[in-house]
Amino acid sequence: MRRYFVSAMAAHLRAGGSLYLLTILGVALGVAAVLSIQIINRNAIAAFAGSVKAVSGEADLSVLGYAPSFPEDLYPRVLSTPGVQAAWPLWRAAVALSGDPESSSGQADGGMLDLIGVDFFTPVDIPWQGEPGDPAVALSQPGWVALTPLLAEQMGWRAGDAFTVSRGSRLVRLTVGALVDFHTLNPLASPKLAVMDIAQAQSLFGDAGAIHQIDVKLADGADTSAMRARLQERLGPAARVVTPEQREAQAKGLLSAFQLNLTALSLISLFVGMFLVYSSTQAALVRRRVELGLLRSLGATRRQVFALIITEVGLLGGLGAALGLPLGYGVAQANVRVVSATLSNLYLLEEITRLEMTTWLYALGIVIGVGGAVIGALLPALDVARRDTRALLSAFTLHEAVGSLAPRLFGLGVALPLTAAAWYGLHGRHWQHAGFVLAVVLLLTLPLLTPLLVRELCARIRVRGFGLGYSLKGLGVRLQTTSVAVASLAVAVSMLIGITLMIGSFRQTLSVWIGTSIQADVYIAPASWRGTGSDGGLEPHVMATVTGHPAVQAVDRLRRFHGYTGDRRITVSGVEMGLAQGLSRFPFLPGALPDPYEAVRERHGVFVGETLARKAGVWVDDVLPIHTPTGVMKFPVVAVYYDYSAGDGAVAMDLQTMTQAFGPGPVSSTALYLQRGADVGAVVAELQAALPDAPLEIRSNRRLREEVLAIFDQTFAITRLLQFMSLLIAVCGIALMLLVLAREQVAELALCRSLGAKGRQLFGVFVGKGLSMGVMGLALGSIGGVLLAGLLIYVINRAYFGWTIQPYVDWSLIAQQAATILGAAVLASLYPAFRARQTSAAALSRDDL
Amino acid sequence: MESQPVADNSPAVLAFDAVSKAYAAPSGEQRHVLQDVSFNAPAGRRIAIVGRSGSGKSTLLHLAAGIDAPTRGDVRVMGRSLATMSETARTTLRRDHVGLVFQFFYLMPHLSVHDNVALPALIAGDKSHRFEPRVAQLLARVGLSDRAHERVQKLSGGEMQRVAICRALLRRPNLLLADEPTGNLDDENGWRVMKLMLSLVAEEGATLIFVTHSREVSGLADEVWRLHSGLLSPHAEAEAPAVPSPS
Amino acid sequence: MKRVLIALLILGVLNPAVANDWKAAQPDYAWSFPRDHWAHAGYKTEWWYFTGHLTAEDGRRFGYQFTFFRIGVLPTAPDTDSAWTARDLIMGHAAVSDLDRNEHRFSEVIYRAVPLLGGFGAWPEPLIAWSRGPAGTPGKWRLSWNGSGFDFEMRDDAQAMSFSLSTRPVKPLVFQGPNGYSRKTQSGTGASLYYSFTRLQTSGQLSLDGQTWQVAGESWMDKEFFTSVLAPHQLGWDWFSLQLDDRREVMLFLLRREDGTTDFASGTIVHPDGSTTYIDGSAFAVTSQARWQSPRTEGVYPSRWRLSIPQEQLDLKVVVELADQENRSRLIGTLHYWEGAVKLLWDGLSVGKGYVELTGYGTSSRPAL
Repeated sequence: MRRYFVSAMAAHLRAGGSLYLLTILGVALGVAAVLSIQIINRNAIAAFAGSVKAVSGEADLSVLGYAPSFPEDLYPRVLSTPGVQAAWPLWRAAVALSGDPESSSGQADGGMLDLIGVDFFTPVDIPWQGEPGDPAVALSQPGWVALTPLLAEQMGWRAGDAFTVSRGSRLVRLTVGALVDFHTLNPLASPKLAVMDIAQAQSLFGDAGAIHQIDVKLADGADTSAMRARLQERLGPAARVVTPEQREAQAKGLLSAFQLNLTALSLISLFVGMFLVYSSTQAALVRRRVELGLLRSLGATRRQVFALIITEVGLLGGLGAALGLPLGYGVAQANVRVVSATLSNLYLLEEITRLEMTTWLYALGIVIGVGGAVIGALLPALDVARRDTRALLSAFTLHEAVGSLAPRLFGLGVALPLTAAAWYGLHGRHWQHAGFVLAVVLLLTLPLLTPLLVRELCARIRVRGFGLGYSLKGLGVRLQTTSVAVASLAVAVSMLIGITLMIGSFRQTLSVWIGTSIQADVYIAPASWRGTGSDGGLEPHVMATVTGHPAVQAVDRLRRFHGYTGDRRITVSGVEMGLAQGLSRFPFLPGALPDPYEAVRERHGVFVGETLARKAGVWVDDVLPIHTPTGVMKFPVVAVYYDYSAGDGAVAMDLQTMTQAFGPGPVSSTALYLQRGADVGAVVAELQAALPDAPLEIRSNRRLREEVLAIFDQTFAITRLLQFMSLLIAVCGIALMLLVLAREQVAELALCRSLGAKGRQLFGVFVGKGLSMGVMGLALGSIGGVLLAGLLIYVINRAYFGWTIQPYVDWSLIAQQAATILGAAVLASLYPAFRARQTSAAALSRDDL
Repeated sequence: MESQPVADNSPAVLAFDAVSKAYAAPSGEQRHVLQDVSFNAPAGRRIAIVGRSGSGKSTLLHLAAGIDAPTRGDVRVMGRSLATMSETARTTLRRDHVGLVFQFFYLMPHLSVHDNVALPALIAGDKSHRFEPRVAQLLARVGLSDRAHERVQKLSGGEMQRVAICRALLRRPNLLLADEPTGNLDDENGWRVMKLMLSLVAEEGATLIFVTHSREVSGLADEVWRLHSGLLSPHAEAEAPAVPSPS
Repeated sequence: MKRVLIALLILGVLNPAVANDWKAAQPDYAWSFPRDHWAHAGYKTEWWYFTGHLTAEDGRRFGYQFTFFRIGVLPTAPDTDSAWTARDLIMGHAAVSDLDRNEHRFSEVIYRAVPLLGGFGAWPEPLIAWSRGPAGTPGKWRLSWNGSGFDFEMRDDAQAMSFSLSTRPVKPLVFQGPNGYSRKTQSGTGASLYYSFTRLQTSGQLSLDGQTWQVAGESWMDKEFFTSVLAPHQLGWDWFSLQLDDRREVMLFLLRREDGTTDFASGTIVHPDGSTTYIDGSAFAVTSQARWQSPRTEGVYPSRWRLSIPQEQLDLKVVVELADQENRSRLIGTLHYWEGAVKLLWDGLSVGKGYVELTGYGTSSRPAL
């Protein structure tokens, strides 16, 4: 059997090249879609973990602040704790890098630098490249810093070169003193890690007394969790003690919603790819029916026939996976920049600078490829294996099964969503992942409904010419082939339309939200504002210059940092709630206390972002516990506002409340309301001129809005790519179906030829079939898409991100996409139509179909 | 392209002129299916071709329909030489002047009885639906008027072949070619279908050439030719003399 | 890779090339006691070195070492606004040799000299130097002046050792070299300022593995500060501090070249009345008679010497009390040296005790200090 299998497969590959090619392509695209997302997801976590390991590789525990920093006098307390073998303090800041070493202007064109202040005389692992030189220089030469060779090369810097960085409005000049190659400690470490003396760091950045992290190595045999508890007890409320695993888990938690959504989308591509395998396998089996019948009549068992088919498809799946692996890597590589930018924009995590293919990822690709292909081929293979020998050998088609099953499948397709809806109403609502269950049900429902719908539609068509009607009529009988093509297209279209609607609605909602909440005329933020937990701010002299501008009518100060409510990292903002001009800054959900801006001040309360409210289940009249340097404080919730940030949530309070609870701190950014009639552009220019060297981003209202939307678009770039891949697979599906039809219908085509139909007419019939399938897929998919959009907007986004999105339909975009789909369907039918056109009337005699 | 006038001086609807046909056998040898076959089938004549399996009967029909091309010699339909025609021209000629009836009926399963019969007109691009009365007339003639809108799968074998005959005759072909039209039917049905076809052909004034291996059925023809080892000869038991013209 | 920085720094201490802004030891240094017991900023290196033999009430014998090093990183502190701004490092080494159980333990600390972690006091406050204990050990290591002698204490929970000792001079302070100027090279480029208390009565507590003894005995204290001592070709040294039962004390050091031969040697004889005789290398002979190889560092150390100083009619055998008294740093990977208790024999009879320090063995790199 094995020898037969090998020789037969080779022969079939030669004979049915295009079918096999499509199977392989379907698998390859599906694998590529899933894999590219997994590569990016894994590497996003790995980038974070890699940098953690490079900096704190030897640490068993890390002490981190609840506010970004904590007092350095906690360090001796950690050091003297029994069970500690070594402990070293770290001062850290994300600083904005200025590209030009000669310029001192604060243009943040070089990205961010993760600057680490260390005590070189503790046993911290620093991977010097070459000789570190005289440490006396590191301590005494102002701004001495060690960079990674990669960054130095990128920036074209050599030892002794000076460059400028900023944190908040403070500019600091650093000098390249040595090279540290963190990649030797962890290949995924960020190349933007830099190391300097802790005393210099504190002094240059005006941060005396504060550190951000203490890494702890435990004595051999010490119990990590007991040590964690002991340290936490000794340190009190000002800091938290976490294991590296906890830090990684926290990053994972932050990203989980984002990554889950991408994974789900990529799985849809795989799902569509499986349809392709299903139909190509089925087509191949139709071709080989007699051969298989012969095998059976010669004594091959059903099991053997089944195994033969599955093995063959598995091999094709393997080939597809082999193609999909590099393709997926390529896709990931091409998209890593935007995703990375999203991650650092939205989640304030390390950028992904490098993609690594782990064994796990290779294995995943192969499992998906082979598994997906085998699952796709399962039904047709079972179908063929189940048939008796006589049936295989006599003239028949495989279509009867679906034909007679169609009503039952339809019934299932009605029952399934109803059951799911009932389940959701009763239980599912309270389960975070329920939305995905509903989406899966929706996507399963479409293929179930398709056969009967196609059949009924085609049955009602009256053939009025040898054209479209005839094409449609033909589709109706070839149900098994047709409905699979239509269903896979419908699934892809659902995804396309659903996500397009969701993104369009989200974008529209966001732009309305921006319209109400971004009201000031000028926004001023330091270049480093995007940095990870950056605690730099605007220095007093900057604030004085800015607020002193004659056109300024009111100043809206914002102090913002990361805080914690329980284990949840949230953004804590302090603003002047009494500011008359700022009354629309927070668009509230219904249910806020009356006069919320006054109530939040008087009651020392907070406004809670919708995201956090949904995730933590805190609403008006509840209290929200937040870690402060003196312990956990409980803040009454005065109102919940629409919030579209991506992290774990946000709260806002009055600046005065913030100072009382967290102590004084710098203004993070500021917004200016100008006098009536003031020229915003001129004011921005004047402020820039007044603060020529300050590392500030001074934006007009309009520019800020544009930038917010630009970030939004960047965030969804990868989503669009996945949509495109699914559509591509579905279009391949149409091409495949038509090829199958062209093959299956050789007799019919030959008959038409013998009845006098010209090649051109057959060509037209096939293009008509492609177009018809496109129309049916589009129609079904549009319904599915609208429902999917509903699920995404009302269930999934709410459950994972806590956003309220107002539905909005951009008709022109939808029309454009519909046209694209139909165009693609026609395009896909060209080759099969060409094949059909070539059918000779003589084929009738040679093929007994 | 519409039908062209037939040359007055050529009464033969179908003429074979020293036609040979050979296929390459898998061994590489040439297998001669037809050798130097020549004949004239005059208008209105009903000719049966008999012979053993593999004697080249179907090949002869395919050559006559322009579906297949001879290795040597010329086939003329309505006086026009197929050898010099393009594929499109042959297709048009077939569409307009030749009807085909098959052993396995070859009805479109997804079309109704009516639509199957109407198919050649549809293919010919007749959108005026002037063929409708013709469809009705033919169906009435074969006794299937009341089943016009049923799907063909529900018909019996004899009924299917009657539909196929209607389809073949729809566009009033000059030449009707039938390949074992009763081969898939029991004797009684076969006999009835055959009688029906012969009388229809007579009514339409078409020339019929049909292949059969049934002596009974061949007896219904005006002439019976025998095909043996690629050579065509008049059948010994023919009731009328069927003399192939000398080549 | 880690720790290398510290090692390089410490090696840099001994490198004359970086000595630009540092003070050099001068022969005419103006001594002022007790103030000179405290730290001398501006010199690159300074140490307070205590070694001694202690006996518990139950007769158990111990050798011990306690040292604070001041390692100057910068001659003056940089002008940075941070509690981590440092000019010096403080390093502490402590060892106990349990002579009855043949066991040697070593403990160490190294910190930036900053208020959070350790530092050096100023006269007239009694505290001379202090540091946090090693990681995982609460409390501090301290050295202070008690008016006539020194008090010091250390603790290391991971090594399960601690001691707290108080000393009182039995014999007066002596200079090692004229006016405390101790030459280390022939040419005079390397020198330190060096004085000793050669016989300190010592008492206090000592703990090992949770067991505490009241101990008493005699110690030797060396105080040295300098900027550069070793010449580039000098690899290490053998140093002897010997207390004879006849109330004499002998200090000898021999600086070795890479080939093992002696490059420069010098010594001091302290007579029973406290008077001193300075001798140069020609006045004594030290011959190694046995060797011991460290299983950890593979250093091959001499472990028995014949020592003769003809002008003092001395012909001694110096025998180690315990072969493995090697101090191996865990914080500074390349740093190890032998510092251990020895006994003095003359014709097979015990005539005294002492401590020997052997550096630059078992590694091609130069000794740490």
